[in-house]
Amino acid sequence: MSHRDNAFVGRKAVAFLRRDFLTMASYRFTLLLQLVEILLIATIAFFLARFLRQQGLETVTPFARDYFSFLILGLAFFDYLGTALGSFSHTLREGQLTGTLETLLVTPTSLETVVLGSSLYAFLSTTARVAVYLLAGVALFGLPLSEANWGATLVLVLLSVAAFSSLGILSACCILLFKKGNPFTWVLVSASGLVGGVFFPVASLPEWMQTLAHLLPITYCLEGVRRALLVGDGLAELWPQTVALLLFAGVGLPLALALFRWSVRRAKITGTLAQY
Amino acid sequence: MVEAIEVVNLSKQFPRVGAGWGALRLPFAHGHGHHCLDRISLTVKPGEVFSLVGPNGAGKTTLLKILCTLLEPDQGRATVMGYDVVQQAAAARRQLGYCPGFERSFYLRLSARENLRFYGILNNLSPRLLALRMSDLLAALGLGTAASQPVQTFSTGMLQRLAVARALLHEPRVALFDEPTRSLDPAGAAWLRHYLRRELADRQTMTILLATHNLSEVEEICDRVAVLNRGCIMALGTPAAICRQTGAATFADAYLRLTSPEVVPVETVPR
Repeated sequence: MSHRDNAFVGRKAVAFLRRDFLTMASYRFTLLLQLVEILLIATIAFFLARFLRQQGLETVTPFARDYFSFLILGLAFFDYLGTALGSFSHTLREGQLTGTLETLLVTPTSLETVVLGSSLYAFLSTTARVAVYLLAGVALFGLPLSEANWGATLVLVLLSVAAFSSLGILSACCILLFKKGNPFTWVLVSASGLVGGVFFPVASLPEWMQTLAHLLPITYCLEGVRRALLVGDGLAELWPQTVALLLFAGVGLPLALALFRWSVRRAKITGTLAQY
Repeated sequence: MVEAIEVVNLSKQFPRVGAGWGALRLPFAHGHGHHCLDRISLTVKPGEVFSLVGPNGAGKTTLLKILCTLLEPDQGRATVMGYDVVQQAAAARRQLGYCPGFERSFYLRLSARENLRFYGILNNLSPRLLALRMSDLLAALGLGTAASQPVQTFSTGMLQRLAVARALLHEPRVALFDEPTRSLDPAGAAWLRHYLRRELADRQTMTILLATHNLSEVEEICDRVAVLNRGCIMALGTPAAICRQTGAATFADAYLRLTSPEVVPVETVPR
């Protein structure tokens, strides 16, 4: 990336955000539906937790006073993984379908800026959805966030987004190379949902599943965020989760970007950049 | 003086990969299919209007895509204003504007102005210059009154004119057009030809390379033309010189003779 391009990176990030915001704002009904969906999921989580409590089936949920607090945070922050895995490949596929991918790649803007810029809005939108989850949880269902450490939560979320993004960019590589990315996304989302501590505490899983859980960044994200929000732990207490996410992001993101550059180059050689 | 475009011994083949499991080999495949471009060489001078003509599949779009860095050649080299399109791809992209043949390549729910603003920023234009260029181009291309409308309400001709505006937004030294008048009505096409020749080439000394099937367009606005067939240059020169070389009365006749299946490539015709 040249100095001249660097000077424009901030403006370009805003340009991508503006493009995607204006596009999404033109689908007003979708925004309303998303809000309703979040409230419905939060309500289901609440009644599920209440049912388990009434039946005496509520198991020990680490760092959470009740299963609802555990579940709602798991569901809310799991959204970041779905966004990361979906947004890069979705943006790429949409660019192939509409022909905009080639028009972006003939500008002097670097590939990294195009890839990361195209997913900015999706992550901001997910953050807004997580905020609605938390607000609804506190206001309607008594989610206890009075001791929350918001600074530590922010750091963990940023590291998680970087770590998840590396997986999302790998999914986009599959789209470029094999014209299909969904199997990769599906396996990762399912595995993360099953063993990553979204619905059940990792400790309650069989040993081999716990081993698998510790290979996935979602596990560290959810454990860290729950402790920061529900117990008020700071980064000093959360160093194992922070270091793990830092490693996933620090190793994964440069590797994923390098593989993406290679994938684009291969697509330029095979002439399949715009094929789907 | 640096040539606006220089193509030397350029070849491109696309790999043949089967469907199903065969598609898994695609990322690692190399070109062993038919020659899309077969050792072609040409130069385009600054300020020249140069045309690529030929039947479907002759290699016109492949050449344009190599020049705008969307494809990599198998062998040979190509430069835009002296910058190698593979080794100095970003620098080459700063010099060129590309108007693809697919006119719907916009964010259709955004307005024309928003689309241009987005591409202008990606082309490193300052806010002041971008506002000026948008206003000038929208007016020049007859889109001023529709600039705030969502692009999805545009006719095909309006989309094509917007694609031209996008290609010219950053005042490139070289502009590549893939069948720019294909979707335009006769009056719109005549206006665009005039704009390319008089405004861009003659007044702004911009280099224009256009791929087209419209032979009268070639005679009307192009300084020189390359006739491509099956990836080879069959003839290269002014339309009149190509007529003389082939003994044809019209450029359309010359084109038909040069692109018939039994013709083999001939030497370049001097200007």
